[in-house]
Amino acid sequence: MPYSVLILDDDADFNSLLTDIFEQADYIVTSLIDPIEAVDVFRDTDYDLVVTDHKMPEMTGAEFMKVIKKMKPKVPVIMVSGYLENDTIRELISEGVGGVFLKPLNIFSLLERTAELIEEAKKLENAPEGDSGEAGEVAGVQLGFAFRSYPCKSGASASFAERLYSLRNFKSTLSLIGEPGMHYRSICEDIRGFYESDAEQFIYLSAGSFDEAQALSLIEAAKKGGAERVTCVLLELEEMDAAQKVLATTLSKREGAFEDAGVTLRTLFCVSGDLDSLFDEGLIDENLYILMGTAEVRVPPLRDCNVDVGVMAQQLVVEVAREKSLAAVPRFERSARDLFRQHQWEHNFEELRATVRKILDDNPGDVITHAAVKSALKVSVGASPRTRLESHLSSQQIDYLRAVSILFGGDRSKTANFFDTDVTAIEDKMK
Amino acid sequence: MQQHRALILRSNRFLGSALVDKGLVSSGDLEEANDKFMEAIQLADLKRASILSTLLFDLKKLEEAKLLDYLAEELKLGLIDLDFVELQSLRPMNVDLSLCWASSTVPFDHVEGTYMLATCYYMSAPVIKHWEDVLDGRVIWYGTSITSLSHALERIEVIHENEDAAADDE
Repeated sequence: MPYSVLILDDDADFNSLLTDIFEQADYIVTSLIDPIEAVDVFRDTDYDLVVTDHKMPEMTGAEFMKVIKKMKPKVPVIMVSGYLENDTIRELISEGVGGVFLKPLNIFSLLERTAELIEEAKKLENAPEGDSGEAGEVAGVQLGFAFRSYPCKSGASASFAERLYSLRNFKSTLSLIGEPGMHYRSICEDIRGFYESDAEQFIYLSAGSFDEAQALSLIEAAKKGGAERVTCVLLELEEMDAAQKVLATTLSKREGAFEDAGVTLRTLFCVSGDLDSLFDEGLIDENLYILMGTAEVRVPPLRDCNVDVGVMAQQLVVEVAREKSLAAVPRFERSARDLFRQHQWEHNFEELRATVRKILDDNPGDVITHAAVKSALKVSVGASPRTRLESHLSSQQIDYLRAVSILFGGDRSKTANFFDTDVTAIEDKMK
Repeated sequence: MQQHRALILRSNRFLGSALVDKGLVSSGDLEEANDKFMEAIQLADLKRASILSTLLFDLKKLEEAKLLDYLAEELKLGLIDLDFVELQSLRPMNVDLSLCWASSTVPFDHVEGTYMLATCYYMSAPVIKHWEDVLDGRVIWYGTSITSLSHALERIEVIHENEDAAADDE
């Protein structure tokens, strides 16, 4: 069956030329000159590929591509234009363009690339999830840059990766804000991967050990390693004590001991929880609250990226199998992978990793079955209704505690009085 | 104004993020504005604590006309120049003038249970939510310039002063 192609070019002559070329190569062609109309037609029709001009009056080709990629991200797009700035080409690549052709056209290359893109798209469509090798590599081709912490097969994760890429040259602060259990370190390693040069280095500081001496020594080591700019990643910010939070502010403002660091410093905050709630509870002070708003990105929870979860689970299986020196890497049967996609993953990546580990601890053999996944998931959400009820009440208890803390403006002693307990018990619970 | 400190912090943080998100200012410019904003907050100079006016007038990193165009064209918001509106006391509406200063917003009319509000902070979700909660959600929003809003609030201050003087005379 011949493939169908949508051609969009406001230049009627060139549009007609492209239409002839594709029709003679046995494609079914819809040719349009109005991008707004093209969006509507694209929405209602299944195409195997889109060819678009860039310079058009109502909408640029890049804008058109952005709109249609949101609707059907897997349909490949080729951009044809008289002239494109390098920045535009880079932007197009990061938006997932399949090919950029400048006029005058090399017709053979255009048709060759068209065939390749359609073939790749069909392969991806037909391949079972996770069978396409390293998921990060697949996403890398589509995104125009490598990104491994999410396979980016879901709209939410692909937009997240694109947003991080667009913000990679942030000047001094960037905040990643997500739900509990996120894999912040892997995400930050992806951001580090956007740069090829050793002049860019990332150091990781977490609640357990962060102090001035540690930060300065890591910055010094990065400088010795050739760093011209050091990004200080502050992990588990919400768990840091008051002195560490003050230090975090000092570091991100490049004041005090960090004023003369001898290298450009940036700060990347990683926070689990809602920033406004943390502020209301007094866990984030005014300075940090405003500083973190300069550029903030929401990390998508796994339940919003259910297509990714199957791939992530398979990646974790590979990791754990390697760790356990298993002779072969077990694979999921399709229904087992579906269970992963349907689960809500309240504790996100940490819960996913724990579940995969639990499955592999039970020696599943070469194939991970639906029953094995179901059993591991039952354990992770609570085996009995009683356990589930306990877990539900426990989470409600924390919500009440937070509400009372907000009511008293974060004052721990008033909160403790309300519950007729001591401040230490409240602080332990809030952690 | 102190009672609105949290709202001022929140509304300015959201506005700053929204301006960067929509490409109206760069994150570097916002960072500079944040520094000045925090200075004003720490000095408890809350009337001056506005990321928007810092970007517009102190740093000159944003043109107000561009912002108003964005509100009208992209967000389909009606614009209003309050200099041409006959303003009234806010007291019958049970609205505190300090909240208007804190949120750069003013209710300028009230018709059959619906309030007409003009704001410079339409892109800041906490401002919208706060006012819709205060006024029970029956609100028609308009965008306005900072100068227009400041003049309007000063005129309302005078109206309130006159009311107080009249009450004293009685």
